[in-house]
Amino acid sequence: MDWEQLDLNPRIIGAVKKANFRTAKEILCVSGPDLQRLTRLSKTDVQRLHCAVAAAVRKSKLVTALQLIRGECPVLEAGHRLSFACPILDGLMRGGLPLRGITELAGESAAGKTQFCLQLCLSVQYPQENGGLNSGAVYICTEDSFPIKRLRQLIAQQPQLRPDLPPALIRSLRFSDNIYIEHAADLEALQACVSQRVPVLLKRGLVRLLVVDSVAALFRSEFQADEAIERSRHLLAFSNTLHRLSHEYGAPVVCVNQVTDVVDGPNPGRCDYGLVGSKVLPALGIAWANQVMVRLMLRRLAGQVQSASRSSAPRKLEVVFAPHLPRASCLCGVWEEGVRGIPDDHSDLQPQGSS
Amino acid sequence: MHRTVPSLPLAPSVKVKLINAGFQVASDLTDMRPLQLCKEAGISQEEAVEVLQMLRDDGQPHQQRAATESLTALDLLHQEQALGSIVTFCSALDDTLGGGVSMGKTTEICGAPGVGKTQLCMQLAVDVQIPVCFGGLGGKALYIDTEGSFLVQRVADMAEAAVQHCTLLAEDTEQKQALEELTVEKILSNLFLVRCHDYVELLAEVYLLPDFLSKHPEVRLIVIDSIAFPFRHDFEDLSQRTRLLNGLAQQLIQLATQHSIAVVLTNQMTTRVSNGQSKLVPALGESWGHAATQRLILRWEGLRRLASLYKSPSQMEATVQYQITVQGFRDASDEHRPTPDTSAVSSQLGNHSKRPRTEDLS
Repeated sequence: MDWEQLDLNPRIIGAVKKANFRTAKEILCVSGPDLQRLTRLSKTDVQRLHCAVAAAVRKSKLVTALQLIRGECPVLEAGHRLSFACPILDGLMRGGLPLRGITELAGESAAGKTQFCLQLCLSVQYPQENGGLNSGAVYICTEDSFPIKRLRQLIAQQPQLRPDLPPALIRSLRFSDNIYIEHAADLEALQACVSQRVPVLLKRGLVRLLVVDSVAALFRSEFQADEAIERSRHLLAFSNTLHRLSHEYGAPVVCVNQVTDVVDGPNPGRCDYGLVGSKVLPALGIAWANQVMVRLMLRRLAGQVQSASRSSAPRKLEVVFAPHLPRASCLCGVWEEGVRGIPDDHSDLQPQGSS
Repeated sequence: MHRTVPSLPLAPSVKVKLINAGFQVASDLTDMRPLQLCKEAGISQEEAVEVLQMLRDDGQPHQQRAATESLTALDLLHQEQALGSIVTFCSALDDTLGGGVSMGKTTEICGAPGVGKTQLCMQLAVDVQIPVCFGGLGGKALYIDTEGSFLVQRVADMAEAAVQHCTLLAEDTEQKQALEELTVEKILSNLFLVRCHDYVELLAEVYLLPDFLSKHPEVRLIVIDSIAFPFRHDFEDLSQRTRLLNGLAQQLIQLATQHSIAVVLTNQMTTRVSNGQSKLVPALGESWGHAATQRLILRWEGLRRLASLYKSPSQMEATVQYQITVQGFRDASDEHRPTPDTSAVSSQLGNHSKRPRTEDLS
């Protein structure tokens, strides 16, 4: 850090240089009395030094909530969300995915999580006024290989999914060109991908959505049951990288999570998030849950639901927690053109076993 | 006054230089000029000015200084009662807290993800602005967001509900007049937001708070949501983390008492395994438990959300139920009375004072 640019008495700057301080972080992490001892400055001098260094670190101006809601600070509050391309799902999420923060989608296998992610990868490419972000997506696979055939099917069926948009617009988008697919076989590869390759794409504005499918696979397989602390540390480092990228570039991060079975009853050592009577809970424990801003759970229900002579197993998408959403859920089905919500006045269905 | 130089409140290096130059008693220094003192003692001009300034203030009659410095306990009681508190809109919780979140103290809110910590913080940031004639404080709020979970849409909902609540309560002319000015826009404009992306920014922000508070004296609430998030990763040296957290806690308590504001911090939960059993405990380690004056723990019990006042110098421990509605943080519709703390809370959270020291997974 260049000490000369601080608005301080040259005597103080000289003392700082002599005591071998190089970065603002070092100054801020040392307490007042310690700094007095190391630099031989007086108490008021040290206070002035702390304030000047702090002001240099905090360059951003003070903002009020009114300015945020009026859209005067796009850096802090974008004012729009990433749409799911279905009005019912968007209604559940009050507009769609928030642009900053990690959104988690947890569910059993074959619940339809990958379908949601693929749909988001296409939705992000539309212009902002159509609910997208005018940019591409990065899809990191850790489990199976990327479902390229299904993606092609979804692309071909986009006009059916989005009948409200002009077909010319849909035809003009080269969907598959803007989806970057990464495969990460182990944790090291995953961390390298997220800290080196993804930031390059984000910086160039080529992508504005990051999907990790799934987060649980690698973390659950590479650590034994008694290595919980080690796993926690890696998980925190990984989520910290995602968090930083999401906030810096305004790119939503969607993480797919697996679920674990609940074998005993309510356990005070485990947080249930109010999911009473559920046989499954999102995996990776409270360490991961603390990093997630929006948690969604997807459950597959028994029965069938019809739409224009096609049928699908219904799913229930539930908001477990989010800072701006009430605990609500909606039904949806997976069709050829993608995931679509089912309005409430549809058939009543029996949940499959649990929930 | 015959004070010796070593007893003066000066930096040790300055005192050593003064003594070496031959000044033994305070009266030796009183009729010196700064330049003279500078040359004779070998201290810098600024230090000389500071020494003489301090001596001049010291010269006031002893009794007068004593009167301005010491207070009786009765004075303190009156002061505390006059301060007021910030309501949470959950009457059961307000009763437990003795009226609401107290001013001049730091309050910590711990809880698992999704239980309602951010909701309570947003609610407090709205409630501090309720006009004085309605029983509020009519102050502004500063919200320091480290997690990025401050979504202004939700605050606008809560502000709307608060305005409606006051509209229903308004009776006399003074209240009706205050209500005219109380709009959602005004509430949002009195809520300052700062986003910190890592712990260095948070430390910097806290160093700038005294300046901020002197420029904005109407701010009566500072919320840090959450203080755990930036401190829970990339800390190789946990003792440095403890040191930094203690320093932060000290600074915040000092701000709270000096400016009579309420400081609210949120903390996360972590799992602690002891004797083969695991339970959820507040994060950031053992010593952090001493940092805040009051501690509130929010937790799930089946479908119910419970708030337990875990540590308070003035209130009894109790557990109440609350809920989060579209309007914000509210009473649970069926339960309104707090239950005094029985074994229910202690069995859930463990008897912290007698807990054996074990590794915790933070």
